[in-house]
Amino acid sequence: MRRWAPEHVWIEQGEEDSPIARRVRESLAGVPMTVTGDLRQAEPGKDRFATGKRRLVLQRHHGSFLQHCPAGTPGLVCCNYLVVDLVSNCPYDCSYCFLQDYLANNPAMKAFTNPGDALAEIDAVLRAHPERDFRIGTGELADSLALDPLTGLTGELVPFFARHRNATLELKTKSDCVDNLLHLDPKGRVVVSWSVNATAICAEDEAGTASLSERLAAARQVQAAGYRLGFHFDPLIEHPGWEEGYRDTVAMIAAAVDARRIAWISLGSLRLTPTLRTAMRARPTPTQVLSAELVPSPDGKARVWRGLRMKMYRTIQGYLREAFPNAPTYLCMEPAAVWQNVRGEAPSDREVAARLAAGVAR
Amino acid sequence: MAERTSADGIRALAAARRFSEATVERWLRLAETDRAVLLRLAERLRLGENQLRDLLDWSEEIAVRERCSIADVWRRESLASVLARPLGRNQMIAAVKLTLRALRFPQLAAAEARLAELIRQLKLPRAIQVHLPEHLEGNDVRIELTGRSAAALRDHAAALQRALSAPQVDEIFRALEESP
Repeated sequence: MRRWAPEHVWIEQGEEDSPIARRVRESLAGVPMTVTGDLRQAEPGKDRFATGKRRLVLQRHHGSFLQHCPAGTPGLVCCNYLVVDLVSNCPYDCSYCFLQDYLANNPAMKAFTNPGDALAEIDAVLRAHPERDFRIGTGELADSLALDPLTGLTGELVPFFARHRNATLELKTKSDCVDNLLHLDPKGRVVVSWSVNATAICAEDEAGTASLSERLAAARQVQAAGYRLGFHFDPLIEHPGWEEGYRDTVAMIAAAVDARRIAWISLGSLRLTPTLRTAMRARPTPTQVLSAELVPSPDGKARVWRGLRMKMYRTIQGYLREAFPNAPTYLCMEPAAVWQNVRGEAPSDREVAARLAAGVAR
Repeated sequence: MAERTSADGIRALAAARRFSEATVERWLRLAETDRAVLLRLAERLRLGENQLRDLLDWSEEIAVRERCSIADVWRRESLASVLARPLGRNQMIAAVKLTLRALRFPQLAAAEARLAELIRQLKLPRAIQVHLPEHLEGNDVRIELTGRSAAALRDHAAALQRALSAPQVDEIFRALEESP
């Protein structure tokens, strides 16, 4: 897989000697860099979203880092996940990515230069609630590892979480950028997880990402280095041959990793806001993703219609149960009625969270 | 020459009907045969912008899924036969959209047809309407009784009571809960 490098780096004045800025400067010798007090210079002009992915802005983050996962929508079963945004935007170009819509007005790739403030904020929360078991991820507004070869952020994150007994860090990625992880000891507190899909979707709709084989080769490496693994079949996309496609992906995972090291596996159907759908239609090449049988759901997002969605969940869950009978699985952003129909149970948010925490401790 | 004619035709029609630039740009990005098919439809059915966009969205999505051209989609027997029927503009647009929807959502359309057949088998009087959830998104079934007198309402309620014991009612709920 080709490593991403920006065409230009902007550094906020005063942050040029931050550890992240130093590491980026060392990694990107030869790439033009501008230190500026006015980051508006870094804003892409024409073709904003595509241009934004080719530049990197290093700046301080102001305000809170830690948020509840936005998947926790009323009416849907939630896994009580927290997200911390240390990077904003992603160098990859998945056709279905919600960032096309979510970051449309703020599309520059940003890495925040004050991750220490984020860790202090997390530390305070963990100390305030020693009885709780937190799962915290960095892969909401960014790929957790795509920029790690430049920023070296995992060198701060992994030791921090390794020191805490009531939290698990999840690094969620479509990359194979795991080199920095291999010499760190996660002490059982870090799950490295991969978003996976049918190979036809990976090949046609996930531009710039590692191939499925490359992702699984990286999973083997981190598993050998002591990390737990997670897999997210999200978004599941209905396309011709989806049954075979997802069956083959499950088989590839089973052949690549030790099932006992899997902390969790999620299933989530494609969901599109109306504005994301518009952004996807405006892409230069029509995507097969929009050809799924998508209809409006009660929350306003388009999803594959419920009967077909449940068929997909049941089918893929069947493959997973056969391959990984002991791995905790869950549905993302689905109402209790769909859980009941698919799994014969409708657990509370707290139960789901407890099961996933147990998946780490297993 | 043909390419210029279709592009000119699209621009002229879009200007006359005040279509947005985004719609026109997207239309003109299509292959010549595809945009020409949509131009003929737009002219014949006097489509508004939203109507055109719906047909474009669906036919493009079918074409991508089936790896064919938009023109191929519009050559399908089911669409060609609708377009050959002697219908007025509004009826024609409705019939075209219904037929295109069945091609765009084949599994959903099949599930809806199965449910419609189960409801038909209940042989309910016209005053009793069964409403399924839109796009089958949910399993709430609503029944509407209409009567112009107390006696008529009692008759309809009794008919409904008899119908509710039919196995098709259980089958309807199973179909809503289960996979296609």
